[in-house]
Amino acid sequence: MASPPLVRFHSVSKRFGSHTAVDALSLEIGRGEFFSLLGPSGCGKTTTLRLLAGLEVPDAGEILIDGKPVQGLPPWERPLSMVFQSYALFPHMSVAENVAFGLEQRKRPKGEIADRVQKALVQVRLAPETFAARAPAQLSGGQRQRVALARALVVEPTILLLDEPLGALDLQLRKEMQLELRALNRELGITFVYVTHDQEEALTLSDRIAVMDQAKVAQVGTPAEIYEGPRTEFVARFVGEVNILEVKGKKVAIRPEWMDLFRPGEVPSGESSLEGTVQSVVYLGETLHVHVAIDGGETLKVALRNEGQLTNPITWKRGDRAAVAWRPDDIQELAP
Amino acid sequence: MNSRSGWRFTLPGLAWLLLWGGVPLLIVVAYSLMERSIYGGVERGFTLDAYAQLLDPLYLGIIARTLLLSLIATLGCLLIGFPMAYVIARSGRWRRWLLLLVVLPFWTSFLVRTYAMIFLLRDTGLINSTLMSLGIIDAPLDLLYTPGAVLAGLIYGFLPFAILPIYASLEKLDPTLLEAAEMLGARPATRFWRVTLPLAMPGVVAGGLLVLIPALGSFLTPDLLGGAKTTLLGNLIQNQFTTGRDWPFGAAASVLLLVGTFIALVWHLKRSDAEGESA
Repeated sequence: MASPPLVRFHSVSKRFGSHTAVDALSLEIGRGEFFSLLGPSGCGKTTTLRLLAGLEVPDAGEILIDGKPVQGLPPWERPLSMVFQSYALFPHMSVAENVAFGLEQRKRPKGEIADRVQKALVQVRLAPETFAARAPAQLSGGQRQRVALARALVVEPTILLLDEPLGALDLQLRKEMQLELRALNRELGITFVYVTHDQEEALTLSDRIAVMDQAKVAQVGTPAEIYEGPRTEFVARFVGEVNILEVKGKKVAIRPEWMDLFRPGEVPSGESSLEGTVQSVVYLGETLHVHVAIDGGETLKVALRNEGQLTNPITWKRGDRAAVAWRPDDIQELAP
Repeated sequence: MNSRSGWRFTLPGLAWLLLWGGVPLLIVVAYSLMERSIYGGVERGFTLDAYAQLLDPLYLGIIARTLLLSLIATLGCLLIGFPMAYVIARSGRWRRWLLLLVVLPFWTSFLVRTYAMIFLLRDTGLINSTLMSLGIIDAPLDLLYTPGAVLAGLIYGFLPFAILPIYASLEKLDPTLLEAAEMLGARPATRFWRVTLPLAMPGVVAGGLLVLIPALGSFLTPDLLGGAKTTLLGNLIQNQFTTGRDWPFGAAASVLLLVGTFIALVWHLKRSDAEGESA
């Protein structure tokens, strides 16, 4: 983030009754970034998005957009638009009317509205001649999602807020939309703020991710920083698979794919290891997870590359003695 | 249970409706086409005299007055009922209690409640005596036995019929739609006119019909609160079957009312059909 941040949360808090939804949260989002708020349900990610949108008012702290405080500004005076989880298409309006709504509120001339609606539909890959006159009820989930996107993009926001927009779609469609969202972010230069509980989605899409836990930001970083350098046990466990160990009195995390499995006594020099008994082998497609019960301790997961179980099967089976080994560089120390 | 065998279970209800709804209806239609008997009742014969009589300016006036008062009462119920339904739909955990309050009047007889309005409106009633004791007026206002009193009675009596269907459609309204409109730049008034009201329209129309239909046929309220000056179609019908002893004419007026109501209902059904298709 070389240029000054486009969005800045400065120690923002929001309470609902006795429940603290967002607790002294500070964040910076850069211009043009694809920024994800990732966390389990109830962690405050949606509230954070709604605070930025102006749909909620913070109890404390300050939010700045483009360096200017937005305190007291209604949503429509902020340079942003939003795609809702439920799409929130107006059921009594056609697709074209839905997309035109924001432009009508901005009192654009009729001809310009028609033009821009047309362009926005094309942009989200809905053929205007087929879809413009349809009612939302006549669309599939994926098509509704596209209309919601067109409706938000047509007003040319600086920031696009997306609240779990792909949650209701099936896996195939979700993957397809992920790629399109990423492409739109790159092409349009609009800053995307994306709320999701799906860690894989966050890793795939984001320039940077804020992992949220219990109303606070647990860690902010690029996908690689979050995945490879988690700073807390929560982040390590929430993003990807992980083994948590105690090494020399310190809690450390290590990913299963960074570990290897050897016969006892065959561990290469320079690697640390723990011995145990193989409990189970789980077939996951790309990898196989071997669960090893360490003597007098926890169970570790080791991911082995699948080199073809029909042609080149791994030899580990339940009951085998094994040493779980790792290079000391690959462990990540966690905050106590 | 498939839908083919399901219809059998409607037989008791169907028989009940035919016996107590269909047959009396046919009798009324038949009476309206028969000759009047001097001492009430009807005599054999076929005539359209009763219908011709409805065209008498006196009766046309009553019909027009009935229509006008009923429409005003309907409009009044909708204007008062909509905000109430809106507030109830957004009142969270109070919602059920407020709904209970809306239907509470049904726990007492409509007749008793209408009498209670007499005690409020008459010359020595609560409203006049309060205003006089406060020195705002010297002589009692003519409140009772006016079209205004009838209107107040109709609106009071039928208000819950307007509130409940409007409430039902507002309660279904997804608040996210209003937030979406807000995000797109719609101010509160625009959100109401372009999102809330169109989506509540089925409830508004249903509520309007639920008020309009009984208002058109009402006779108790105009009888008690309107006196002789505000005769409505309902009173006319009642009179023909009692003191007026002109059953064919009473029956013809009933048929007129029935046809009018029927037209309103058909319009409503066609309208909701068209909506169902576009949705």
